[in-house]
Amino acid sequence: MTDGDVFLLLGVGLAVLGTVRLVLTGDHLRRVVALNVAGSGVLMVLVAVAYRSNPEEPDSVLHALVLTGIVITVSVTGLALAMVRRVERDEQDRQASHE
Amino acid sequence: MSDLLAALVLVPLGAAVVTALLPARAAGRVGLVVALALGAGSVLLALEVGSSGVLEAALGDWSIPLGIGLRADGLSALMVLLTGVVGAFVSVYASGSAAARGGALFWPVWLVLWAGLNAVYLAADLFNTYVALELVGLGAVGLVALGGPAALAAALRYLFVAVLGSLAYLLGVGLVYAETATLDIATAGQRLEGGVVMVTALSLMTVGMALKTALFPLHAWLPPAHSGAPAAVSPLLSALVVKASFYVVVRLWFGLPGADGAMAVATLVGVLGAVGVVWAAVVALRQTHLKRMVAYSTVAQVGYLFLLLPLAVPGLAAPAGAAEADAARLAWSGVAALVVAHGLAKSAMFMSAGTLARAHGSDRLDDLHGAVTRMPAVAMTFALSGVCLAGLPPTLAFVGKWQLVQAALAAGQWWWVPVLLVGGLLTFAYTAAGLRAMFDEPQRADELVELRPVARRMVVAPLVLAVLAVALGLRSVELLALVEVGSVLGSLP
Amino acid sequence: MTVGLVLDLVLVTAVLVSAGLALFVPGRVASVMMFLVFGLVLAVVWARLGAPDVALAEAAIAAGVTGALLLDAVTERPRRGPDRRVGPRWLMPLLGAVAGAGLVVLLGAAALQAGPVEPGTGLGPTVLDRTDDSGVSHPVTAVLLAFRAYDTLLEVAVLTLAVVVVLSLHRDGRLETVPAPGAASPVPDALVRLAVPVIVLGAGWLLVAGSSRPGGAFQAGALLAGALILLRLGGIRLAVPTGRWLRPAVLVGLAAFLTLGYVTVALGQGWLVLAEPWQGTVILLLEAVLTVSIGACLAVLFVAGRRPAAGTGRGEEP
Repeated sequence: MTDGDVFLLLGVGLAVLGTVRLVLTGDHLRRVVALNVAGSGVLMVLVAVAYRSNPEEPDSVLHALVLTGIVITVSVTGLALAMVRRVERDEQDRQASHE
Repeated sequence: MSDLLAALVLVPLGAAVVTALLPARAAGRVGLVVALALGAGSVLLALEVGSSGVLEAALGDWSIPLGIGLRADGLSALMVLLTGVVGAFVSVYASGSAAARGGALFWPVWLVLWAGLNAVYLAADLFNTYVALELVGLGAVGLVALGGPAALAAALRYLFVAVLGSLAYLLGVGLVYAETATLDIATAGQRLEGGVVMVTALSLMTVGMALKTALFPLHAWLPPAHSGAPAAVSPLLSALVVKASFYVVVRLWFGLPGADGAMAVATLVGVLGAVGVVWAAVVALRQTHLKRMVAYSTVAQVGYLFLLLPLAVPGLAAPAGAAEADAARLAWSGVAALVVAHGLAKSAMFMSAGTLARAHGSDRLDDLHGAVTRMPAVAMTFALSGVCLAGLPPTLAFVGKWQLVQAALAAGQWWWVPVLLVGGLLTFAYTAAGLRAMFDEPQRADELVELRPVARRMVVAPLVLAVLAVALGLRSVELLALVEVGSVLGSLP
Repeated sequence: MTVGLVLDLVLVTAVLVSAGLALFVPGRVASVMMFLVFGLVLAVVWARLGAPDVALAEAAIAAGVTGALLLDAVTERPRRGPDRRVGPRWLMPLLGAVAGAGLVVLLGAAALQAGPVEPGTGLGPTVLDRTDDSGVSHPVTAVLLAFRAYDTLLEVAVLTLAVVVVLSLHRDGRLETVPAPGAASPVPDALVRLAVPVIVLGAGWLLVAGSSRPGGAFQAGALLAGALILLRLGGIRLAVPTGRWLRPAVLVGLAAFLTLGYVTVALGQGWLVLAEPWQGTVILLLEAVLTVSIGACLAVLFVAGRRPAAGTGRGEEP
């Protein structure tokens, strides 16, 4: 197993770990964290693939794709967090008006 | 003419920017005009592909696979056309009421979503498809969120599902790239030879897309999101958005070579689809709210589409016999007919449900008593679209289901036939349940709520679409000739 | 055992531990803190795998901006409400562990078999050969703004769309009702005065550097966003547009990119085709506009997550 393989497996592991946590937790905010971990795992697979193709000069196409992936992930995270905070605020306000 | 391809993506994006900057009233006018223009553009694309064949373009003039290719074959053109026609009618409907739109930002978000849908259908590139899918996913979530605080939790859940599906897809793209060092779908298809990696990649991407398409049992997010969305949004989600991820499944299975394990995956997907057809229809029957019922109907109808995989995959494997090839061709055009039929009928049904809910102040079935006499055109739209969904002759869905039955027999997979029949009967049953509530006359006149006025276009637009869904059955030959253009099935024995 | 192997081992352990803690540690605050650590470790991993562009982006965008977004969210509600649980306490975690382990084995085995393609074939070498035709000399920037500019355009659209949707959660789609910290600022004034010019300078350098070495509009934009957020938290309200300039600032990047497309088509060159002598200049100008817009978008995402002052309702259309 080469060093590239190690990080390829690490990426797969992170993707699965994040997905499992996303499915199992009921806490919206922690879902956002889990989604980010899973996303980082997928991106690590891409970076590892780039590295394995040629460790001296990794594939720059994949690096560009990963940059795009990072920007998309932060967009999703920003939107998700704004919605999470709004949902939790609404819940809180509803509870307050019940009491 | 190949400039039209990118225009179908970049013009709605530009219009979205303009409508986001303009005050609400002006944004509505611009949005409607652009929607009608896009509808015309889609018709133009379909005519062009139908008459002169596959259109291709390389953006920025960078040769493929260095750059990104756009490609419109018959299937792409059909999907763009469906999006254009339904999109234009729903836009007209949306212009009828602010409440139906849910908020001032409806137009920019919807136009971005439209651009994303066209981008998915025209992409010839695996990673470009990923970015386009994110545009579709966030746009759809954004439109659900316009439904207000009550819809926000459903929108959030939808967001998690959509992004998880995209990640599974992207992981599959990573595997394909590791094998082929290209992102162009056609080039990857030539370089791949099947094997474990390919089956894994295909399965990952299929799971991701099945999540977004709400294939049973990955569907739980759909009913709250589709029924909680504003009146003009639900038809877009059910008729168009779920089709984009299904389209990607078709592209992948037909564009990348299958392998030994692929038939097992395809059969599993078909079984899940079949279970979904029956199960979701039964759940739809038990709903007390009209929009919820229509949303469950979408889960059921999506199930039919996935029957394509088990019916067509044997025909794609080389060397295919003549019977398998026939089955693949029949399944291909049958599912194309069902996609169009569901797109037209479901958007009409959701729009009519939205109009009823708006007028009655509620979409609870018990509150819709007397709707047949008080809003006959809307009730008729609902009934017609139900007939189209159920697949009674001469509707387009009948043509589609008939071809699927023949495909099942040609492939020697007769066990799908009862699913098709039972699914149709159940569709009748829940449509009838909705109609019965509208036929019921209340015992006392004062039980009737006073109807709120609705704009005429919120009655007419869905009616025209429903009639179109019936009438297209008579012209199905021309429509289905389109999906043969550039199809891989053309080269089969 | 070589030094490199030991370092790799440490790195892999650090990734697994920080990710595991971020995911499974009890308590939201600890989870977010561990996620920040995870982001920094990831940046090191990217550098280790020969991806300096990704390392910069991870540090600036993923660890920086995402960290700020998460921290602000968790500060508002450090605890969450009660949770509905299905079945016995141990059941779901057990199922998750079994399914997860199975998936890792299946996917891992497939991934290890995938490729690699023979060195010298494929897209990577082609990009290196053709970079000089693109008007910039850094291959990653050439891919992002020339060869696959269409992807980048759609990506900018995704970011812009996310901001527009977040705005739709606020009254009239504007942010004037979100209070800015006043005198009782959580960020010391001196820090703001010191940090902001440094950050802005850094952003400018990253932007210009992007055409010849790692860096570019997205990393620069993320740094700019950091500066804007710091300024606002330091009491300078106007740092992040919330009223009349809000939408123009958010949309200008996408608008500029689209305009470039429309102009190239109108000139008869075809969508996004840039002509020979000007392409380097055009790309740099576009990146400059994108930097400003990305900075504004990310800063607005931060502000828009916060609680508006009075009334939480959204505005109905007139």
